[in-house]
Amino acid sequence: MTMTLAQLGERSGQNIPDHLERATTVPVIDAPQAQGDLLVIPYRLVEDDVHLPPAQWTAVPPEGIELLRSTTGGNPHTLVADPGTCHWASGGVEDRTQLALGALRTTGPAYLIHAEHGGTGIAPGTYVVRRQREGTGIAGRRASRGRGVADRFGYVHTRVVAD
Amino acid sequence: MSGPLGPGSPTSDTDLLRRATQIRDEWLGHALSTLPADRPATEAAITELYETIGQRPPRFRWVDSPAAMARLAPEESPDPAPVRLRAADSRNRVSEWPTASRLATQMMDLRRGLDRLVNARLAGAPVPPGLRRTARDIPPEDALGRGMPLRPLLEIAVGDPLQASVGDAVAGPLRTAFTTLAGRPVGPVWSGQHEAPWVARYDTWRRLGMLPVSADRGRRLDLWASLARSCGWWWPGEEVCVVAERPLAVHHEPLPHAPNGQLRLHRDDGPAVVFGDGWGVHVLHGTPVPEWVLTAPTAERIAAERNVEVRRTAIERLGWDTYIDQAGLRLLATAPDPGNPGCELRLYDTPRDVRLPPSRLLLAVNGSVERDGHRRRYGLSVPDGIDDPVAAAGWTYGLPGEVYARLARRT
Repeated sequence: MTMTLAQLGERSGQNIPDHLERATTVPVIDAPQAQGDLLVIPYRLVEDDVHLPPAQWTAVPPEGIELLRSTTGGNPHTLVADPGTCHWASGGVEDRTQLALGALRTTGPAYLIHAEHGGTGIAPGTYVVRRQREGTGIAGRRASRGRGVADRFGYVHTRVVAD
Repeated sequence: MSGPLGPGSPTSDTDLLRRATQIRDEWLGHALSTLPADRPATEAAITELYETIGQRPPRFRWVDSPAAMARLAPEESPDPAPVRLRAADSRNRVSEWPTASRLATQMMDLRRGLDRLVNARLAGAPVPPGLRRTARDIPPEDALGRGMPLRPLLEIAVGDPLQASVGDAVAGPLRTAFTTLAGRPVGPVWSGQHEAPWVARYDTWRRLGMLPVSADRGRRLDLWASLARSCGWWWPGEEVCVVAERPLAVHHEPLPHAPNGQLRLHRDDGPAVVFGDGWGVHVLHGTPVPEWVLTAPTAERIAAERNVEVRRTAIERLGWDTYIDQAGLRLLATAPDPGNPGCELRLYDTPRDVRLPPSRLLLAVNGSVERDGHRRRYGLSVPDGIDDPVAAAGWTYGLPGEVYARLARRT
């Protein structure tokens, strides 16, 4: 199943604006990809930091799942896939960086769609979806948590990015 | 599909929905109106509201803006003392409460009664799973076409967007500015035209013939509706009622990709809302900002600003290049942006400032183009001690640089 941005927009009920390349096929790949302030990353690349739950996976419904909506622009990042192929978990996903929104397991192509950023095609596999953060302080070896954590490298204060 | 009305009335859900969005836009117009207040209508409605709680008509004191109300001498202001209720207090009898409290009680009674009626009707029109969320993102007529029942759709197409546009986007920044300016409790305030969201919600159900409203409730709703059409904010006291004029100008823009007419304040060459006495608020694309952000943004002021949204807005207004130059940021390193062909990541060191924690600035370029064909640049602060731009970008997603370097695609 390869799809163009226009087809994806139709399928997810989102209005894909004309200035994006609507007719271009969205590549379906199994590498890390970024969509605005979200990152889709194969689980094997972050398995040391992320614990996936054994249960709590729900099938992605035909209209998709809204993963995140920006507060000012009103546009969601929506996960869509053919019925029965893709499952999503948010509760139970433990990420040492605290950045995971959740994880997805898909046996067919899945797509992340955003009306301003376009489409991200995800090949079969297991992935973690993370948010982006900014921060101040002195960098430690390991990413710090939430509102600021002292470690042996200093003190880092972070906030998630909302575009 | 048939509607609830008889022959000669709109009969299909599509017609009813169209009528509902017309009523919504009519109320939005009232909420954004910059016409002088209709003083006779305002005074008549407030007088009648006073009568419904057994209170004599007040003297009216008109002011140009909420700020003008805050500057009134104490003897001209309505009684600002907040009610303190204690069991032993003789004022713990409704008839002895201040006028403002009794008006609030009466208004809440009206709203609770109408809510019960509306909620009963919503309960009779269950929404298929998942459809409510979808329905918020698409034009309401499409939502209807996808099987969204009309009744819950009215909430999505009328009440919710008016609350977002009027209650949150317009009245919100004004309330914040007013409270900051007053610096003291000034008693309960009603917001006249900015009460439109809740008035419009019931008015829509009523005018579509979908909500039987008793004559008494109907009359009281009419009074609040009349105020929403006639005046700005007002403060009811025992003897004096202070009423503010509506603003002279309200500058706004559509909220991007919002299918129900939502808007936000925006003006980049002056206050987005301004009243007759010059008081107002500055707002850029929905973000309330101090005036200097529009008139004279400088790196120094930006450094002293604590609010991160204001800081970001000010930097974008100043321009990243100018900001980097003025702030004396030193370029540490550049690198090709993984997954974003032709674009560059630039990492800057920021001069030490005792007011702020140490940080560096990563300047990146959006993976997707804007409507004007350009790609927006954006800056992210990252902790000090990261020297490599790719590692800095990786840090923002909790990844080591070597993993982030494998990013295949950014949109």
